[in-house]
Amino acid sequence: MKSSTKLFIASRHLRSRAFQTFSVVAVVAFSVGLAVALFLVSQGLQLGLVHAVEPFELIVGAKGSPYQLLLNTVFLQDAPIGNIGWEDYAELSDDVRVGSAVPLGFGDSYRGYPIIGTVSSLLDVRVRPSDPPWLRITQGRWFEEGRFEAVLGAQAAARSGLRLGDGFRTSHGIVAGDEHSEEYRVVGIAETVQGPWDRAIFVPLEILQSVHEHEHEGEHESESESEGEGKEVTTVLVHPASYADAYRLAVSYQNDSGKQLIFPAQTAIRLFALIGRGEAFLSIVVYAVEACALLTTLLVLYWSGAARSRERMLLRVLGLPFKTLVFISWLEGTIALSTGAFLGELLGRAGAHAAFSLLGEATAIQPTVPLTLQECLAPLVLLSVGSLSTLAVAWRDARNSEEPPR
Amino acid sequence: MGLSNPLLEIHGLRKEYMQPGGPVQALYLDFLEARAGDAIAVTGPSGSGKTTLLHLLAALVRPSQGSIRFDGRDLPAAAYSARWRALSVGYVFQEMNLLPDFSLLENLLIAAEISGVPRAFDRSLSLLCRLGIEDLRYRRPAKLSLGEQQRAAVARAVLHAPPLLLADEPTASLDAENAGIVMNLLLELAAESKSLLLVATHDEAVKKRFPRVVELTKNIEKTGQRGNLP
Ligand SMILES: Nc1ncnc2c1ncn2[C@@H]1O[C@H](COP(=O)(O)OP(=O)(O)OP(=O)(O)O)[C@@H](O)[C@H]1O
Ligand SMILES: [Mg+2]
Repeated sequence: MKSSTKLFIASRHLRSRAFQTFSVVAVVAFSVGLAVALFLVSQGLQLGLVHAVEPFELIVGAKGSPYQLLLNTVFLQDAPIGNIGWEDYAELSDDVRVGSAVPLGFGDSYRGYPIIGTVSSLLDVRVRPSDPPWLRITQGRWFEEGRFEAVLGAQAAARSGLRLGDGFRTSHGIVAGDEHSEEYRVVGIAETVQGPWDRAIFVPLEILQSVHEHEHEGEHESESESEGEGKEVTTVLVHPASYADAYRLAVSYQNDSGKQLIFPAQTAIRLFALIGRGEAFLSIVVYAVEACALLTTLLVLYWSGAARSRERMLLRVLGLPFKTLVFISWLEGTIALSTGAFLGELLGRAGAHAAFSLLGEATAIQPTVPLTLQECLAPLVLLSVGSLSTLAVAWRDARNSEEPPR
Repeated sequence: MGLSNPLLEIHGLRKEYMQPGGPVQALYLDFLEARAGDAIAVTGPSGSGKTTLLHLLAALVRPSQGSIRFDGRDLPAAAYSARWRALSVGYVFQEMNLLPDFSLLENLLIAAEISGVPRAFDRSLSLLCRLGIEDLRYRRPAKLSLGEQQRAAVARAVLHAPPLLLADEPTASLDAENAGIVMNLLLELAAESKSLLLVATHDEAVKKRFPRVVELTKNIEKTGQRGNLP
């Protein structure tokens, strides 16, 4: 029999049992989609996070959870960790083991876009020494220290509604509501860094500090302020003088009671490991869903195969060879399975993209869809196991049709 | 093939089925000889083995004892039986002969392809015309009357002009008029293609139309060929 005829018979069978075919396709597409989406999201997220961590070599901040420090500084998420004193920053930048140190102040925001108080040396940060600066200006210019000027991150520029030349007040300024709070003026827009910092609005650190001081004066007049300068920073980005210096620094911070030093890349890896445990559980769920899909498929094939026993007998009496009979049944099952797997792959990719764009909006993490096609593993495993089991069902069906018809 | 040369020779044919209570005798036929173009009615009470005989001839089941020789050779072993049926056997059942998901014409074309019939389309169409059901060729079996279905089944069975044409109660589900039409067609077409026709039947009216009748009995001792040459 010609291959085209076998395909014709198989596809007619599938069409005339449209409901069963649809069930198989739907259940396989759903389970494969779930597996693919989960894989892509976790992989993409991981790559996106790694990319986001890259520019940060060492971070010094107040003692507390290293994860919180990481989330605050790198991802601009989570409640801000406490501050450290300006003198701690000064001490760091004078340290011979430190190549450069950039102070950052967090805690303020404009319409959900975090304000980062910093200094011009942020523009010198590079992922690798040979790379161009990590943060670059595409429009306007960098702020001048000591003035109420602001530079927008790429996403903040695109979505906050602010434009070059606009003025705005931050939430703290508004809360303080006194004559001291002034408007920031947008003087520049940064190029995208493909990461969470695209959501940032950069302002001079001194200005941020002065706004906060006023605020403290206003709110806690009864409390005695620290007798030092009173100026604070939230975290300090540190570029060590050498690799060995990074470890020496880390050791010296180990017993510090008020501050901690983290290696963001390592902290991120530990964070992934924590997330990974949840992921492992999720993948068990995914495997269970796939197993259910496989079972449903086999059950449907089994029943529709049983309903076709008369047809198989007739074909056998017409002289169709046993192996052709098996092949046609197998083809039916395999067409349904592959259609489901293919749709599932598309569905999973679409789902992952939807998740990425939601995530990108909230965090500006730019998850990259890996091109390894590793996510095809789920559909391929389902397809091959399904196809083999289909063969077994088809063979059994054909054997059972050996009983002669009457 | 001369008259002296029988197409079909059966000797001491016995079929038993193993059942929990012991072996069940399904058929005993001591002797049968037939020539190309012969038309034979196979009769006998229910359970006497009419259907079993047709199954044996189509090589759908193996004999427990005895021999079936066709055209001077033993029937092929199981592994080659599909090819034997495709090339040499046409088979009509009492009902539900057609593949339900395919139109009448598709049913014929699929059978023609299995049997390797040359110019299958023309042959199918001319047969459908001959049987007066060409207008129904795009209909599925469920949308046909039983008489129309049986006519289509006859068309399919003779498509490849098989040397052996078997029909198991082909008119038992039909009214007298349709039964007459279907039986006429079977006899005519079998004669045209010089097929050896064996029709299993209870029906006296059908039996009368056959020059030769083989009667099977349930009782082993009395079983034997009762048919006589015309
Ligand atoms: N596959 C089988 N397994 C066990 N017994 C069987 C099998 N097929 C047929 N038989 C038995 O063999 C005997 C002959 O059956 P067969 O169907 O050939 O009779 P028949 O003459 O065609 O009867 P009917 O006129 O009712 O169609 C019966 O007793 C039947 O029960
Ligand atoms: Mg019978």
